[in-house]
Amino acid sequence: MPRQLLEHYPQTGPRYDELLSAPWTLRPHWRALFDTLVRARPEQMQERLASVRRQIRENGVTYNVYADPRGVERPWELDVLPLVIPPDEWARISAAIAQRARLLNLILQDVYGPQQMLAEGLLPPALVYGHAGFLRPCHGLKVPGAIHLHLYAADLARSPDGGWWVLADRTQAPSGAGYSLENRLVISRVFSEQFRDLHVEHLASFFATLRDTLAQHAPEGDGPPLTVLLTPGPYNETYFEHAYLARYLGFPLVEGSDLLVRDGKVWLKHLSGLRRVHAVLRRLDDDFCDPLELRADSALGVPGLVDAARRGNVLIANALGSNLLESGALLGFLPRLCERLLGEPLAMPSLATWWCGEEAALEDAIARLDTLVIKPAFPQLRIDSVFGADLDRKSRAALIAKMRARPHHYVAQELVQLSQAPVWDTQHPRRLAARAVGLRVFACASPDGYAVMPGGLARVASERDARVIAMQRGGSSKDTWVLTHGTVNTFSLLRRSVSPAELVRAGSNLSSRVVENLFWFGRYCERCDNGARLLRATIAQHIELDDIRKHALTALCRHNGLLPAEPVEDIGAALRAAALDPAAPGSLAGGLHQLSNVAFTLRERMSLDNWRVISRLTDELNTAQPTEPGEVLERLDHCVQAMMTLSGFALDGMTRDQGWRFLSMGRRIERLQFMCGVLRHALAAAGDAPDWLLELADSTITYRSRYMTRPQWLPVLDLLVCDETNPRSVAYQALGLTDYLARLAAQFGALEPAALSDAVADLLSLRPEADLHTGSTRLDALLARLGSAAYALSEQLGLRFFSHADGVWTGTEERR
Amino acid sequence: MTQVRYHVLHETRYRYAWPVSTSRQLLHLTPRETPRQKTLAHRVDITPLPAERESRNDYFGNLVEHFSVSAAHEELAVLATSNVDVTRIGDAPMPQSPAWEHVRDRLHQVGPAPLLEPCQFLYASPHIEPLAALARYARLDFHRERPLFDAACALMRRIHRDFEFDPDATTVSTPLETLLKQRRGVCQDFAHFMIGCLRSLGLPARYVSGYLLTQPPPGQPRLIGADASHAWVSVFCPGAGWLDFDPTNCVQPDDQHITVAWGRDFSDVTPMRGVILGGGEHAVEVRVTVMPEDDARLTRTAAGAAQPLEPE
Repeated sequence: MPRQLLEHYPQTGPRYDELLSAPWTLRPHWRALFDTLVRARPEQMQERLASVRRQIRENGVTYNVYADPRGVERPWELDVLPLVIPPDEWARISAAIAQRARLLNLILQDVYGPQQMLAEGLLPPALVYGHAGFLRPCHGLKVPGAIHLHLYAADLARSPDGGWWVLADRTQAPSGAGYSLENRLVISRVFSEQFRDLHVEHLASFFATLRDTLAQHAPEGDGPPLTVLLTPGPYNETYFEHAYLARYLGFPLVEGSDLLVRDGKVWLKHLSGLRRVHAVLRRLDDDFCDPLELRADSALGVPGLVDAARRGNVLIANALGSNLLESGALLGFLPRLCERLLGEPLAMPSLATWWCGEEAALEDAIARLDTLVIKPAFPQLRIDSVFGADLDRKSRAALIAKMRARPHHYVAQELVQLSQAPVWDTQHPRRLAARAVGLRVFACASPDGYAVMPGGLARVASERDARVIAMQRGGSSKDTWVLTHGTVNTFSLLRRSVSPAELVRAGSNLSSRVVENLFWFGRYCERCDNGARLLRATIAQHIELDDIRKHALTALCRHNGLLPAEPVEDIGAALRAAALDPAAPGSLAGGLHQLSNVAFTLRERMSLDNWRVISRLTDELNTAQPTEPGEVLERLDHCVQAMMTLSGFALDGMTRDQGWRFLSMGRRIERLQFMCGVLRHALAAAGDAPDWLLELADSTITYRSRYMTRPQWLPVLDLLVCDETNPRSVAYQALGLTDYLARLAAQFGALEPAALSDAVADLLSLRPEADLHTGSTRLDALLARLGSAAYALSEQLGLRFFSHADGVWTGTEERR
Repeated sequence: MTQVRYHVLHETRYRYAWPVSTSRQLLHLTPRETPRQKTLAHRVDITPLPAERESRNDYFGNLVEHFSVSAAHEELAVLATSNVDVTRIGDAPMPQSPAWEHVRDRLHQVGPAPLLEPCQFLYASPHIEPLAALARYARLDFHRERPLFDAACALMRRIHRDFEFDPDATTVSTPLETLLKQRRGVCQDFAHFMIGCLRSLGLPARYVSGYLLTQPPPGQPRLIGADASHAWVSVFCPGAGWLDFDPTNCVQPDDQHITVAWGRDFSDVTPMRGVILGGGEHAVEVRVTVMPEDDARLTRTAAGAAQPLEPE
């Protein structure tokens, strides 16, 4: 075999190797893919690597790393090589995981029901009553179909003898299935032929099963069935995945404040009213789900949710309280529980783990501390995992004292000897490296028991001999290819047939929160566009040293908050900062950040193209800042182009629903304010009508084609104030707003934008000969009134349509 | 057996700076039925009238009432009225109890035939974190091989001696560590503290919420609303069952204590707990009146507040 790729790959070692069965000997299921790598030209591999990076960046795949100095988002790390698993091996894994999911579901049923396993002494009371994840309000709550676990994940590792072990169970709201799907999309594209030729199992039918099982067990009534995906919000580490899965499964992505409970049922707050929610796939932790009955200090949950579930009016997946099983202490008791509940042996062992609440286990753990990891027995305990071998004498004694004082809080676990898998070494043109690897696999409830996703999220450590793999600690991921002997199920997750009752028309899926964010998205887009144009004109004038114009524009920058109110010494530096420095108050860069933040909250509603435009802009902001005015101007050009692109998407790519209408109102309000300010400043400056006025209003071409003269006040004012056909004119914004408001009023009842209607009436009665000149006090007063009417309208929309979206629930508690 | 019949009024009134648009509340205001206590009549009047209202038993067997008000309101009043019979224990002989270590070891045994009910009250709960410092404090009375009942009595006496009643010293979230240092607080703190001591030793203890009969100064009439709701501790003693201790008053509760609910700590049995939308700042006023039946007949005509509250 060609050795070049493996020259730096360890041929022997204490670990199981996923690629090699002996030195220089490939495992059979790797041969085909390895051949591809050998045959690939260096440029071809480079192109593949670049494609992986590009897809991840452009699809906005991220993982939020807490306390990362680079900011909240980090691009998802994905190795180009998949983890390959042969069919017979997968069959064993799959059966074992299905069995384990079944077992864990039965344990939850028992603990939240008769507690027979406790009474029989098979499950120590401490593991339930001493676990903060045991939610007493959920005891006795009948879950639909007796399914507590709809989605279950297990973290697996392979020991040196090739056997698979379960390291941990994820029962509450497992993450990773969406990332697996995204990994698959990326990698199947860069190795498309190999993916097809190797008969790799597809993932889509797994997600369809998850979706259909939820729908099947959800209660009915009050309109078409609706499942939502409940997220804690954009700051959660796996928010990308929430948005991604929501879109893939066709579920609205909601936060707690989007939902409310009334009549014991759950409702989604829409602009147009309430829509019944039948099932909630949640990514919010158990105890945060309901501040009334669970954690009182949670602002993320839905008050009354537990009661709605108790009344059988909503399916919550996974059932509230399933965090209970995320406990290392449970692992040692599973074999006997499995015999008792399923009447069969546990198919896949758990990593040897002892709960120190048993005296013998405690003594043994203390005696063998050097060879063990000591971990918290329950996830809620604030205890760090410690490798016994790392401890010096003093900290060792301290740990032992703590373990003796509260033995039931600790588990002792054998060290994992993870297997190693090949990764493509991106630092070298043709080289494979070995990295420790773990595999997260997923199961979901189905009508025939648990279905296991044929694939999974493989995670590799950042180093070869890592003891832990965590995305939080800079690990990377891999696609997982499960090979099959048979034919591949090429089912794709398209909608089943839609009945007439299920037809969805524009706007029916908009929550108040989304509408508010769309409104601000519109405003920020326009604000950035205005800011960029204004700065471009100002900086250009400064280069040309044209004093009068320079002063008018500088004043306008101040008026728009781009420059500080008081004069600055180095105007060049101040303008540069206004353009590029996000920390400068009111700067364009700051505005772009706000735009990016609000777009972030809307990410699941934005097309990929929108998102790419925005992420390119923010990427540019994060690169080295130019100092030459020419380069700054170039950046401003990019910004103006990007805003034009976004505006084009909004115009051409969005259905005309209420969300679009609010986005457009946001834009028009912002533009109206801006234009009124620009015109008043231009009118106040002495002299001829300036070029920059037309430039700021993007109307130079129109003007030239109509008049073929240099700018004169009368035609300029006609074009920028009165011409209803010019999308930049004052009249265009004002009339558009009036029209949107009439449509809103038709659906939601009268609004009274009195200030705006009066001003618009006045605007329509302007007479060119009398009012369109620099000395007109009527024109100036009218522009001032329109500007403040725009401001008032924004406030009014907020009060009327958005305020209920961010109302604050506060706890009350009587104290004696 | 002697019985005392009580008439209890428990009135809670919230006033908000801004209108509250929605309010959801949970009430633990219905006295429990126990072998020594019968509830003859009970009602809860809520103003404004709730849109939804429902009651059920909670995990610990207490009656909990859910209600929600969805009309805008600036004031919320809840008046619970209960008639309860309590049987007197009197001078019963001191219960025989095993050495406390035996109780601890029995409960922590892993294996067949666990004592599940007391195990419910063995571990940390939202307001009670067992601590080594609490165990040290308790060990001043929990000598080796001392009978559990004896030791618990001694601990109660010690807390009563060491701690001073001070309604301004603590809040609902003051941790036990702070309490141990400052040694001031209210009945809820003393109950949490004593439970914390017992659980830190590995012993089961639960939190009891209820009422206490207070006597007006000699020669003066009973004042409506002068009492407060009360809290004490129950300790599991194999053989004797759950035995009550009131560290605030240094007594074993008898026919002057009326039990409403029990749980792991205050958070399980908060008399009124809820979430509201809107409201801003709020003020809360709680008035409790415990009247022996004979007294009640005399007082009822004199005091308007004995009637259910009317909206203002």
